[in-house]
Amino acid sequence: MNTNGNIYTIIYTTVIVAVVAAILAFASQSLKSRQDDNEKADTISQMLTAAQFSTKADLQKLGNTKVLAKYAEEIGQAFTVGTDGSKVSDLDLDKVYSPKELKKQNYKIKDGSGAEIPVFIFKNGVTVVPVYGAGLWGPVWGYIAFEPGSDTIKGAYFDHESETAGLGAKIKDDPAFQAEFNGEKADFTDVNVFNIVKGGAPKNTDGTSVIDNKIDAITGATMTSNGLDAAIDTWLGAYAAYFKGASTKIEEE
Amino acid sequence: MDAKLKETILNPIFKGNPITVLVLGICSSLAVTVTMKGALVMALSVIVVCGVSSLILSLLRNTIPSRVRIIVQLVVVAMMVILVDQILKSFEATYAIDKQLSVYIGLIITNCIVMGRIEAFALGNKPWPSFLDGVANGAGYGLILLIVAFFRELLGSGTLFGVDVLGWLGYTPNNLVILPPFALILLGCIVWVQRSIQKDLQEK
Repeated sequence: MNTNGNIYTIIYTTVIVAVVAAILAFASQSLKSRQDDNEKADTISQMLTAAQFSTKADLQKLGNTKVLAKYAEEIGQAFTVGTDGSKVSDLDLDKVYSPKELKKQNYKIKDGSGAEIPVFIFKNGVTVVPVYGAGLWGPVWGYIAFEPGSDTIKGAYFDHESETAGLGAKIKDDPAFQAEFNGEKADFTDVNVFNIVKGGAPKNTDGTSVIDNKIDAITGATMTSNGLDAAIDTWLGAYAAYFKGASTKIEEE
Repeated sequence: MDAKLKETILNPIFKGNPITVLVLGICSSLAVTVTMKGALVMALSVIVVCGVSSLILSLLRNTIPSRVRIIVQLVVVAMMVILVDQILKSFEATYAIDKQLSVYIGLIITNCIVMGRIEAFALGNKPWPSFLDGVANGAGYGLILLIVAFFRELLGSGTLFGVDVLGWLGYTPNNLVILPPFALILLGCIVWVQRSIQKDLQEK
């Protein structure tokens, strides 16, 4: 048979591509639910890590089922708020707010076109909110936990899609970077709610970081640090009205 | 087993190792060798992709139009890589590893070993030897990956497969070892060792 004819070549490539597409579509469909379960447990363990219930590594050892059980045990309420601080609707506690949904809301925050952003309040009063933005190579996102009714940060956890290993990827892999957030304050009256600064955040004489809204950026990862800084400003800025409202409510009580 | 088949399997492991002799697949061997676990998953992925792609293309070898053969190879290899990635994402045990390896699983397609072996071997040989050749080349690649990862994880984190090995000795992890340049230094040392054993590789 002549395998070099034009018609043969066209038919051959068409068939090969169609078969491969069918195999991949089948694989993708049949594995989707398992992948979603893994992503859900991963997202939840990021929130639990930010709220300082455990560390990411420990949660990973627990496995998906136990992570979900721990979340169900600790979560108090979850709802969405508008950028004016008013509550929009309750969120299903069994569902998880995936980075894909954060991406959608990210556009809406920037457009000013009615974003509905999630707030997670754990039973101990710790409030966790997500942030989302662009890093150097792809999206970066994460969760910032606040002490009950306060603008003091309890903890933070960040994740990324494709930042450089050993540099930008430190926002996820370096616990020391994430620990810098602990105890700092977000300034909801400023446009720059929180700053990741180059060249050193203000330090006390004993070397501890001054309690303010500044922490050190990652050396060698300026673009990622800037991207994360912008993401935090954008998102916490959008939550500013909610947090101002939340703190006055607690004072009234 | 006849001698030729044996040669097909053993040659890529040492004498004709894809990384140290053919100098293919260097990029990922620098990127994914920080931990043994990552290196092992990467090695197994490459073995599967390389073996099965070689098998499929060897079965198809007499029907492939020669003008589009590279494209056909690419389609098959891409399919295998995506399948491996999807499967790794589906299991709890491998999900975190897949996330850690991130783009490097997808980049197996650009690993010259895979396409190189298909072009050089699978298209001219029967399916069974082709499959073995693919697997053996993947294994040769994986072996070097594991050797590099062994030293990098041991000296860089004081652990092996995440288990503390040197910590109780009061060992302070060396941060240089974690960075890619050290992988290149290690790789250089491995090539050095191999060339001093295998004199025929030395240029006169």
